[in-house]
Amino acid sequence: MKLRFLVLSLLIFLFSFLIAEEITLNMIQVFTSPLRTKVLEKIISDFEKMHPGVKINLISPPYETAYQKIYLMVSTNQPLDIVEVGDWSLSSLASMGKLENLEPYIAKWEDKKYLLPGVLDSARIYKGTAYLIPNAVYVKALFYRKDILEKYGYKEPPKTVEEMYEMAKNITDPSKNQYGFDFRGKGFPTAFIDLIMTSYFDDIDPSNMYLTKDGKLIFEDPRAKKGLEMYVKLYRDTAPRDSINWGFDEQVNAFASGITPLLYQDPDTLGLLKDTLPKEKFGIAPLPVGPSGKAYPTFGFAGWGITSYSKHKDLAWEFIKYFNSPEVNAYWCKEYGALPVDKRVYDMDPYFNSEFFYGWKYMFNHPEIYQFTAYPLANEKWGEWNNLHEKTMQKVLLGKMSIDEVLKKWADFWKKAGLK
Amino acid sequence: MIPTLGLVGILSFYPTLKGIILSFQNYTVFTFNRIEFIGFDNYIEVFEDPVFPEIVKNTIFWILFSVLFQFLLGFSLALLMWKPFRGRGIYSGLVFYPWALSGFAIGLVWSWLLNGQFGVVNDLLMKLHIIRNNINFLSDPKKALFSVILVNVWYGIPFFAIMILAALQSIPRSLLESADIDGANSITKLFKIVIPYIKPTIVNTILLRIIWVMNFPDIIYGMTRGGPADSTNILSVYMINIAYYESNFSKSSAVGVIILSILFIYTTFYLKITSKGEFEI
Repeated sequence: MKLRFLVLSLLIFLFSFLIAEEITLNMIQVFTSPLRTKVLEKIISDFEKMHPGVKINLISPPYETAYQKIYLMVSTNQPLDIVEVGDWSLSSLASMGKLENLEPYIAKWEDKKYLLPGVLDSARIYKGTAYLIPNAVYVKALFYRKDILEKYGYKEPPKTVEEMYEMAKNITDPSKNQYGFDFRGKGFPTAFIDLIMTSYFDDIDPSNMYLTKDGKLIFEDPRAKKGLEMYVKLYRDTAPRDSINWGFDEQVNAFASGITPLLYQDPDTLGLLKDTLPKEKFGIAPLPVGPSGKAYPTFGFAGWGITSYSKHKDLAWEFIKYFNSPEVNAYWCKEYGALPVDKRVYDMDPYFNSEFFYGWKYMFNHPEIYQFTAYPLANEKWGEWNNLHEKTMQKVLLGKMSIDEVLKKWADFWKKAGLK
Repeated sequence: MIPTLGLVGILSFYPTLKGIILSFQNYTVFTFNRIEFIGFDNYIEVFEDPVFPEIVKNTIFWILFSVLFQFLLGFSLALLMWKPFRGRGIYSGLVFYPWALSGFAIGLVWSWLLNGQFGVVNDLLMKLHIIRNNINFLSDPKKALFSVILVNVWYGIPFFAIMILAALQSIPRSLLESADIDGANSITKLFKIVIPYIKPTIVNTILLRIIWVMNFPDIIYGMTRGGPADSTNILSVYMINIAYYESNFSKSSAVGVIILSILFIYTTFYLKITSKGEFEI
């Protein structure tokens, strides 16, 4: 009896010792969706198999409340090792001082040389230091409906903004419920406005979308007015009136139903269209360029960072490295609908070599035409800007405010925000 | 007494007090590490915002029309359901179901139904030959506010109906029967017996609904986020936009305190006027 008790105690002791030895990494995602969680869980379970004794606890709050949860967790030092951060929130989180400086890790990281050009620079928006490693990038391209354009005699997608306007205008016939341009009126339309407006410039500062290379605010330049006039014309002459109230979902819906065959969107749209539209009916082209012969897309990204108070920073870095290894990165981007950050993936995986990725590859390979440009995301007024930009642009589209007035308002806003 | 006070203190007074304190600070996501008192700056910023007068005007319209029609239609519905009929239970269940749904989800669903391009409502009206061109319910600033009010009315009718129906059922049958004997017609009975009898319920329900409707950004947030061009922006949506777009929790709290103050003044006056000494809080 005594012996049995002793053996049992020993087993319990050993068992609890084993449990205690298991390391748990707490990881939180921001852009939660059922599909995304499933893909993440698969990657996590593969990592756990490769690292016995390591467990990753994935926290998946709903997107709407994810950042509040992260702010709350990190400000009270709650157990959290790996944090997902999107580009637009990186500065605010980094300024709290709760994200680890990843530069020492990056310095020793061999695969960094395979990252797409500009990706690391985009991650260094806060004080020139990388606090996260992007795991995928989002770049807008021109989605077009081949079948609809052909119906109206167009064999090729438009190459310039003017061409796109003419094409969209010719197609537009409200009596047939046919329009041209898939307009974005609400829910962060900033990038859509800027892509058209800045295409009239040939000297945008690569590190700041709202400054020219000689340090002047673009809103005070006559070319901004020309660009904005084109943007308003695209709405008034080629887009449904209702699109002033369209966000991402409505845009994709209008494209899939063929009402608006020309759409500026990110690669995650491809993930959605794959299931709703036969692949021969649409194509993806490089963004049309403006009269300057240029366009200024931007790298949108999300990535993983490490908390400054994590007890397992090295292990967390191991996971981030694993996540960005070519095979895992390819799997992640393919399933979720994003562009891989590792250059090798584009040649290695036939999926990313398909015609759908031609538009993006063309833009990556022609930096003289497509200058990837950063937004002033580290500016504390960035969030306020998005709100103001959306609301005032709607006023212009509705004719309640003139282009001159709005440009002055925007210039004043950025001067007050210390951009110049 | 002490546990009750403690509970109310923790759950209600503390967050309110914290909100008030926050409205005098510079609490944004960028300033977590250097929060300080900045006096009335947040309030000044809110009052100086050029769109503030329009937002206040929209808020008044939103409350007035929402509650008025919710009340009138809810009252009518309650009167219709007062007399027992076959299947009343199932019918009331169906009628009351919007009340059980989340406001945000309702907003999202209705934004699709009222979509000016591929919305079901436009499609139906077109097929019934009522309209020739699509109506831009949510993108025309002249129609957008009324469209969101329409949805809010649809959502709020059941609450009035439930409350008023319960009050109607408490009216003693004998009272109505004696009115019948005295030869009173339906209109007289309604204004001389029914309404006076259920007045406390009506007063309370309207009071509550006005507070709730003012504090109810869900539907508008789901449908338009206050747009286009602020045409559906009301105080509570404005507050949320400042918190989530601008990540400025202090300025957002200042708007919250403004809402709280308006509601406090309103409640005091409303109860004074409607009670005339017989109804105290």
